[in-house]
Amino acid sequence: MQPEAKDPEEDSVWEEPPSMLWGLDPMFNAFTRLYVKDILQMRESCQVSGIYFYNSHPIFKVDVLGTVVYKREREDFFCYGVDDGTGVINSLCWKDEPWREQGDPATPGARSFGSSAREDFNPANELKKLRQAQHSSSHLEIGELLRVRGPVKTSRQQREIMASTYYKVSDPVMAVQISWMMEVPQLYRQCYDKPFHLDSSAQNPNIQGGSASYLLGRATRILKDFLKEKEVTRFRPYDVQDLLQPLVSRQPQKTAAEQVHIQWEEQEPEAGPSSGPPTSFKQLRELLQKSLQILQDEGLVFRKVKCQDEVYHVTERDKDLLMAIRDILREDCRREKYAEKGCHILHILSSVRQRYSRNVSKAALELVLKALECNSDIISTSDSHYTIL
Amino acid sequence: MSPAVFHFLWEVNFGAVKEGDSVRTFGRLVSYQPEESKATLSIQHAARQHQVVVQTTFVEPFDPIIGAQYIVLGEIEKAEGGDGVMVHARVLNCVDGVNLALLQRGVNEQRSYFRERGESKGDAATAAQQRAPL
Repeated sequence: MQPEAKDPEEDSVWEEPPSMLWGLDPMFNAFTRLYVKDILQMRESCQVSGIYFYNSHPIFKVDVLGTVVYKREREDFFCYGVDDGTGVINSLCWKDEPWREQGDPATPGARSFGSSAREDFNPANELKKLRQAQHSSSHLEIGELLRVRGPVKTSRQQREIMASTYYKVSDPVMAVQISWMMEVPQLYRQCYDKPFHLDSSAQNPNIQGGSASYLLGRATRILKDFLKEKEVTRFRPYDVQDLLQPLVSRQPQKTAAEQVHIQWEEQEPEAGPSSGPPTSFKQLRELLQKSLQILQDEGLVFRKVKCQDEVYHVTERDKDLLMAIRDILREDCRREKYAEKGCHILHILSSVRQRYSRNVSKAALELVLKALECNSDIISTSDSHYTIL
Repeated sequence: MSPAVFHFLWEVNFGAVKEGDSVRTFGRLVSYQPEESKATLSIQHAARQHQVVVQTTFVEPFDPIIGAQYIVLGEIEKAEGGDGVMVHARVLNCVDGVNLALLQRGVNEQRSYFRERGESKGDAATAAQQRAPL
């Protein structure tokens, strides 16, 4: 009988995500390298038995490397006790059919050495050698190193690993164990200890837009297509705001109170009495800001002058910027210093920032340089050097 | 069965592990007395030699390579004569050629992770509350 969680308040604070969404967590499908201590302590799911939770991640199968500290052999399987330094866990390792009929594999070994000295390839001997290898890889003694991978099961009130793969690890100078000791804390810090975040939109399957990152991706796509089709050179946020309206208006209400108020079948959030324009407008503003930031980071747009008036310039269509870069290259490549090799991109960047605008990012500059090169105005002399043609 | 946590020889000697608990440690084999089933492991640390006696009854017969690095897994018991502790080995493996500095780093890396985790117990505690009896 699993005892109740020590701190009942913890339970009420954290709820399991619905089982349908567990597949969204990449850890669910991986053989997680948890410490045995954590495998033994992780809480079992209330929804599906056989699935466990570590730090809000649904865990199904694990990967353990440890020393065999006890061994029980039956006709069909081994039960190895694996100790990885943090805990000891049972590991149920089924025996393979093919070599179970083998007698003592030691004697054939001596004979097969003699025959392998001959030139001919003897399949029967090779098969025998293979069986011996399989046998030695699955028969372990106490003190040997075992690698086990498989799902965790609770059987007779004990947690154990039902090995889907297991083998003896030859580690004469402890290289494998040392690298495991170095890697696992990293895995914990980078993956396992980071909580599994589910967007509230992902939890509600009624939303057509899906998760926030999906929405953001669509928003940036819409903006990019618009800027390209209409050959926009400059714009302000409110010029493009309406483009993102359809993405936002599909989001239904988030709170239960608001849901109760929706009487209409059309699910128009703006029409709902408790939601109204302010909520969706705020979402729209947020989405717009995030999308514009992404476009800036990618270098597609930039703000020539940072002031109250938010004007965005589309990088590739800014004629002044193009001319400024061409002038820089034309003048500097006349100088002896740059004549042969051309100007380094960072030199160009600092010149552009001095002459034209402080807010031109490296990403934006790279876009323009690529455009100029495609146009045969300039040419790259090396990975990061350019010269005028 | 308690897990054999990694400890350094000098920690074992200073009583870092409780009597009866399992431990995993390593050192150079300096002597072996088969009649008494006793081996001595030694390691150099902070300009001092640290030694611990290992009871080898469970792991005999083994091929003793004096001077080679060994790793031992076993229970802590009071040493005969009442002075200090000894390890009753269940596993005694030769690991000669091991990179000692790297091994030490590995152990410390694991420890510092557990220390970090212990400090932020609040987050980890969400899932770590149930204990399965062994």
